[in-house]
Amino acid sequence: MNRGIAPQRWPREHWVGLAAVGLVLTGSYIGLFVAPAERHMGEVQRIMYVHVPTAWNALLCFTCAFVAAIGSLWTGRERWDATLVASAEAGVVLNGLLLIQGSLWGRATWGVWWDWDVRLTTSLVLLLLFIGVLSLRSFATGSERRASLTAVAAIVAYVDVPLVYFCVRWWRSLHQIQSSPATVDPAMVLPLRLNAFGLMCAATWFIVRRARLELARRRSSETAIPDRIERIEVRHV
Amino acid sequence: MKVAADPSGTPSPAFSARDLSRRYGQKWALAHLDLTAPQGEVLLVAGPNGSGKTTLLRLLAGLLRPSVGELELFGRTLASDPFTWRRNVTLLSHASYLYEPLTALETVRLWARLLGRSTAEADLRARLAEVGLEHEADNFVSGFSAGMQKRLSFARVRLEDARLVLLDEPFAALDTAGQELVTEWIAVDRRAGKTVVIASHNLERAARIADRAVLLSRGQMTWQGAARDLPGVLAGLARVV
Amino acid sequence: MSELRSQTLTLLAKDLRLEWRAKARLVAVGVFGLLSLVVFSIAVGPDSKALTAGAAGFLVIALLLSSTLALAESFRIEHERRALEGILLLPVRPGAVFYSKAIANTLSLAMLAPGLSLFGVVLYGVELQPANVVSFFTIWGLAAAGLSAPGTLYAAMTAQLRSRDVLLPLLLFPLVVPVLMASCKALALVLTGDPMGQMHSWALLLLCFDLIYWSLGGILFPFVIEEG
Repeated sequence: MNRGIAPQRWPREHWVGLAAVGLVLTGSYIGLFVAPAERHMGEVQRIMYVHVPTAWNALLCFTCAFVAAIGSLWTGRERWDATLVASAEAGVVLNGLLLIQGSLWGRATWGVWWDWDVRLTTSLVLLLLFIGVLSLRSFATGSERRASLTAVAAIVAYVDVPLVYFCVRWWRSLHQIQSSPATVDPAMVLPLRLNAFGLMCAATWFIVRRARLELARRRSSETAIPDRIERIEVRHV
Repeated sequence: MKVAADPSGTPSPAFSARDLSRRYGQKWALAHLDLTAPQGEVLLVAGPNGSGKTTLLRLLAGLLRPSVGELELFGRTLASDPFTWRRNVTLLSHASYLYEPLTALETVRLWARLLGRSTAEADLRARLAEVGLEHEADNFVSGFSAGMQKRLSFARVRLEDARLVLLDEPFAALDTAGQELVTEWIAVDRRAGKTVVIASHNLERAARIADRAVLLSRGQMTWQGAARDLPGVLAGLARVV
Repeated sequence: MSELRSQTLTLLAKDLRLEWRAKARLVAVGVFGLLSLVVFSIAVGPDSKALTAGAAGFLVIALLLSSTLALAESFRIEHERRALEGILLLPVRPGAVFYSKAIANTLSLAMLAPGLSLFGVVLYGVELQPANVVSFFTIWGLAAAGLSAPGTLYAAMTAQLRSRDVLLPLLLFPLVVPVLMASCKALALVLTGDPMGQMHSWALLLLCFDLIYWSLGGILFPFVIEEG
């Protein structure tokens, strides 16, 4: 098209995006049509194939945001800041999906949309915490200041998560035992794993794209340093 | 003696800036500044509003970090030890740095305590007398005029007794007696081997006490030379324009 | 360490003096807390049993709502004449600024305890046994400390932003969920009886949260007051 601009190379992270699509499609197909129905919960249980991977990956994104926040405070490099905002956003999206899936599951199995269960409550608080971090970012001015405020808020939010978790556990003495792949039918494990890796690839693709966008946006708003101007001649009068 | 020497015997400069540049968002407030001040010099920074004088002083005070370029104070960078950096400088800023609900005496006591100076009431009152506020010691800062607040801010600069004294518009808002007082303090500091950087629009007065002057224009240094030549240069510029 | 302590104490004396000189504001914050207690009872309705059962929660929420007002104010004066910048130039350790502010905020919030609890006793029909008064105020103090440390950090972060009044609660409320839970539970046990002896473990949990927030605040505060 425009011959003046060098043709853009196919970005490498798109391969990860393609892998995500492939893995999630295969995993979901096996989960929906191949894996046997669960004995007690029946067909509803199939939401687990997307629900559990979403939960894992949401937490992974927030952990990534936490690490990036420390890197950003430590080095002051804008790469870390871009990674931080990208992974926090990915985490918020996944966490939002997680709560919707959790509600559907709860409605189908417990008959209620919401329950103050440990994991549900913790992920709700986690979502609210990171929404707070992102809105703080949107109000901060000056790129360095914005980076340090975001990083500090993200660190505080992340450190708060285990506190919330244990507090809610104490608060609600009854809770479900966590399901791990070891206790379920092997035919159920495969779609779970496929979807987990698929969502991880999708999150990675999103984070890389979003971080690039953040850096590009910053480049475009920067003005180049002005050229040196000539000294004036001293004229004695 | 206040002048510190490095092992070779020559004192390190009070500050040296190389290609010092600072950006606020889109705007470059200061660009490509190469400037070195030996210890004991009184340096005048002149230039119109928005020329980068305050930015330069805030960079020197360690309140801002350079966007590009390097700045060293007494041979050290800010990143290596911000605490020592701030111990070495004092800044008289546009903002008064005062708590309005405190009295003058309480304000000076707070500074003296934080700096580890004597907090005996007689000493504190003497500090206030030095800046001509001996009769205002027990009055609240909120009732002070701009000139009185400036005098009180000067009490902090005097109390800090730092090696590099940064004065942003030291004469503004002061009466003639106050301006004389400031002029005298600068002379005293120079005799004590301190380095003083003055950013001022009161060029006539400032050029009389400064050794060297630099002229900033839109963030860049356009002239530097002996301070006594500055009025002539500016007059020449005005004629050209 | 001793430098940090002496600077903290000096700044604390300054902060308390400023709070005292603005005591009309603290009174207004207290009245706001009382008003919220009244509003809760109107919302719940005339059922005195429900009010008694929820009394501890209402008291903690009143404290939380008052705290956002008090915290936001505490950094306003620091930026009015850029006094904070002057303090940091002296130079003062940023940690000292944080701890003095956080202690001053804790003390102001703790001062709301007698008024709010008296009002709560009258309004909600709860009984505060004389033997429990010490536990009640200890837990209140721990809750105030747990709100103040993250609150001071966030107040410093938002003090110079647009929409700071919205941002502070937006950031603070989800963060202090553990403090709210632990203090509600502990206060409820104090007010309505504690047959299982669980109150102490909740108070201990609250103390742990306080320690975490206070250390984290001291570490992170220097990053939020630098202009860059």
